[in-house]
Amino acid sequence: MERITVTLDAVCLASQIILESGGETYRAEETVERMCQGLGVPKVDVLALPTGLMLTLTTPEHGTLSRIVRVHDRATDLTRIDQCNSISRQVAQGAMTAEEALEKLREIHRPGKDHRWLLIGASAVSAGSFTVMLGGGWMDFIVSFFCGALVQLVLPPLAKGRVPMQISSMIAGALTTLTALLGTLALSQVHVEPVISGAIMPLLPGLATTNAIRDTIRGDLVSGGARIMEAVLSAVMLAAGIGLMLSMWGGIGL
Amino acid sequence: MNWGLQLAACFLAAVSFSLLVRQPKSSMLVSGFIAVAGYSVFLLLGQSTLAYFAATLLIGFSCEISARLLKRATTLFVTGAIIPLVPGVGLYNTMRYVVEGDYHQAVSTGAAAILGICAIALAITTTSVIFSAVSARRKRRAAP
Repeated sequence: MERITVTLDAVCLASQIILESGGETYRAEETVERMCQGLGVPKVDVLALPTGLMLTLTTPEHGTLSRIVRVHDRATDLTRIDQCNSISRQVAQGAMTAEEALEKLREIHRPGKDHRWLLIGASAVSAGSFTVMLGGGWMDFIVSFFCGALVQLVLPPLAKGRVPMQISSMIAGALTTLTALLGTLALSQVHVEPVISGAIMPLLPGLATTNAIRDTIRGDLVSGGARIMEAVLSAVMLAAGIGLMLSMWGGIGL
Repeated sequence: MNWGLQLAACFLAAVSFSLLVRQPKSSMLVSGFIAVAGYSVFLLLGQSTLAYFAATLLIGFSCEISARLLKRATTLFVTGAIIPLVPGVGLYNTMRYVVEGDYHQAVSTGAAAILGICAIALAITTTSVIFSAVSARRKRRAAP
């Protein structure tokens, strides 16, 4: 394969991984620019959006080369962002060739084995601890722990079945509320407020919001606006799920 | 209220959340401690909008500094550290008032939550702008 094609493949894959893992768009753009500098491409123009990436390399030998990469699935994965970062740094310093970088990036991009039970446990402990942090007692901790585990049990299959993120957000909100309300029936001394508030904390779009503001301030208005809309929509859908379940519960009159 | 228990829960929650977003293990404990520091400031200042701002400033500065010390991206630390401040209670209470038909309370609770988010975003931006300006200046000085 020609060297310039390998370079193009490598930089595209690096920024694609960053965008798919929920990284900021300026990070994806900087990665491309940094890597091209290290690989001896004199001029590069890149525009990254949360949903795609366009770039053009200009070299004296090959003229202009362009590529568009579409980004479909986005899920937060900070380890991948970190790995891409260190690879792009090494390439920029000239410590890694385009071929080596491409091979490593392909390895990162390969869907790895998720430790499913570890994630369920993390979600459960996180929900339970948030409940205690917000002033819940031990009974509240137990109910919230169940909420967190249940949500993490249900969400990945939904994502695999191509259910839109906003819809699964609503389902998660409804599920959390239902579990918390059932908890108040089954156990005495359960308070609904700390349980639900704690259990929805990990579901709120915290990273998306801060990234959106950062993008906007840096002048990436398109990606900033898109990210803000994504965050607002998923928070609203989460709230809608909670509200739906609360009003249904009130309607039954328990 | 039992502060010790709350802060311990805050630490545990932040660390397990960073496990959930697949944060590299080496940065987990750091962002857990930053989360506790930020949340204590938030509690000390009475959970007001200003408290959101001050706590996030502290979190932002600590994250930028640890990112530079450990040579990692700042996002890695911020994600886990900021999560205890996210106004989940506000969102839930807003929804509860809406369902109860108490729109007056719903609007004021919702507005407080949105203001909190704005304060967090503003503080994060402030620190990130300051630090990127400083490092840009350093780079210019280092270059001949």
